[in-house]
Amino acid sequence: MEIRRDVFQAIADPTRREIIGLLAREPLNLNAIAENFDSSRQAISLHIKILTECGLLVIKKQGRERLCQAKFQKLNEVSAWVEQYRMFWEKRLDKMDALVYELKKEKKKIRAVTKSK
Amino acid sequence: MANIVEVTRIFDAPVELVWKLWTDPELVKRWWGPDRFTCPVAEIDFKEGAKSIVCMRSPAAFGGGDTYSIWNYTKIILHQQIEFIQNLGDAKGNKMAPTALGMPPDFPEDIRTVVVFKTLGKDKTEMTVTEYAEFGQISHFAQLGLEQCFEKMALALG
Repeated sequence: MEIRRDVFQAIADPTRREIIGLLAREPLNLNAIAENFDSSRQAISLHIKILTECGLLVIKKQGRERLCQAKFQKLNEVSAWVEQYRMFWEKRLDKMDALVYELKKEKKKIRAVTKSK
Repeated sequence: MANIVEVTRIFDAPVELVWKLWTDPELVKRWWGPDRFTCPVAEIDFKEGAKSIVCMRSPAAFGGGDTYSIWNYTKIILHQQIEFIQNLGDAKGNKMAPTALGMPPDFPEDIRTVVVFKTLGKDKTEMTVTEYAEFGQISHFAQLGLEQCFEKMALALG
């Protein structure tokens, strides 16, 4: 069975979505995550492996603990409204560009008029 | 802390001119709204600790409603950096919860926005706008909307 390691495949599973949801609040170790589910620790461990492989999760060592941390950069890529936000800003930048061009033209006109006096 | 959105543009203009786009209310009105939106109000009080109120008005086809944003300035370094916190609000400049304004529960609040200006030449300025969400905000998002958001996406992917 081929397992696709892309983000959308990863979040297609409800348990994995819940794991990311938990980690959005704070980093947790495997046991702390597994406590929230009826599945076996092994099953949760596999979910974490898949999330790690597609870049949604990273495991960081803190002393003797291994904490799972959600990677928001990836989450953001997946989030539709973030894309909308970025488009919003790109459009604003386009408008600013046009504005700056206009302001420069006006400045030139004023300088030309002042010179000819 | 998580990066939400970062956009950059190089303008063929000195930094003094690009800076004015943020300080002059008549100029802010010209770029704040998205395509086909207008910006009828821009009350700019450009000082650290002060706030500006900007409004975007949707076209008649989208209902013609007004959406007010409040910018609370936290840091201003002349011709270098502008930092403010963005929130939705009312015409008087009071912050409002997005859900009270009909936004979905995962609509972000208290968005830290940083605008950085870099002079690349006499007539060249690079401007970068970054919007951040703090962990606390992401967890709010996670609690109320992440599941729904992902479910919708997963359904769309079939």
